[in-house]
Amino acid sequence: MDINQVVGTLVCTYRIPGLEHCSLRILKDRKGKLQVATDPVGTRPGNWVFTASGSAGRYAMGDASILTDLTIGGIIDHWEPETLARTAPATSRATSQAPAPDSGAAQAA
Amino acid sequence: MKICQVIKPLVSTNRIPGFEHKHLQVVLDGSAQLVAVDAVGAKPGDWVICVGSSAAREAAGSKEYPSDLTIVGIIDDWDPTVPT
Repeated sequence: MDINQVVGTLVCTYRIPGLEHCSLRILKDRKGKLQVATDPVGTRPGNWVFTASGSAGRYAMGDASILTDLTIGGIIDHWEPETLARTAPATSRATSQAPAPDSGAAQAA
Repeated sequence: MKICQVIKPLVSTNRIPGFEHKHLQVVLDGSAQLVAVDAVGAKPGDWVICVGSSAAREAAGSKEYPSDLTIVGIIDDWDPTVPT
């Protein structure tokens, strides 16, 4: 399941009966690509949400007859974008970080 | 199936009832941060195997479980730098 941010609501009155009355949200993913997802939770623009895609999205709507391939699963309580949490290096060997060269000295040399 | 590293649990109180009470974990697949249902009880820092598509639903509970990525195993020993 992916993590996206709700950008806004999509109004689409002329739609197939398979989408029934679901509210549609516009989501922005990590790379900034916009997608449309059905919203059984009721989100507001700016919320960070996780989504279920594919056939799991149809089951996430609670009724598998809704023809969606992306559904909002829930609102994340706390999320900072693009912060790679430092995992405890318990099992994985910490890769040695290359020391950042001192930019001033490098140019001077 | 993918090899991912568990980063931290994902807390989402306002979520659809379909997820029941299963734990959700933020996992790292290369550089992409994904969310997976935790069926085995992994802890942050573990290297795990994640399964997708319809198998993810079955692994997470029932055929109607709305998951498209589920952690199905914890790798005993994995060195990400060494290409096996």
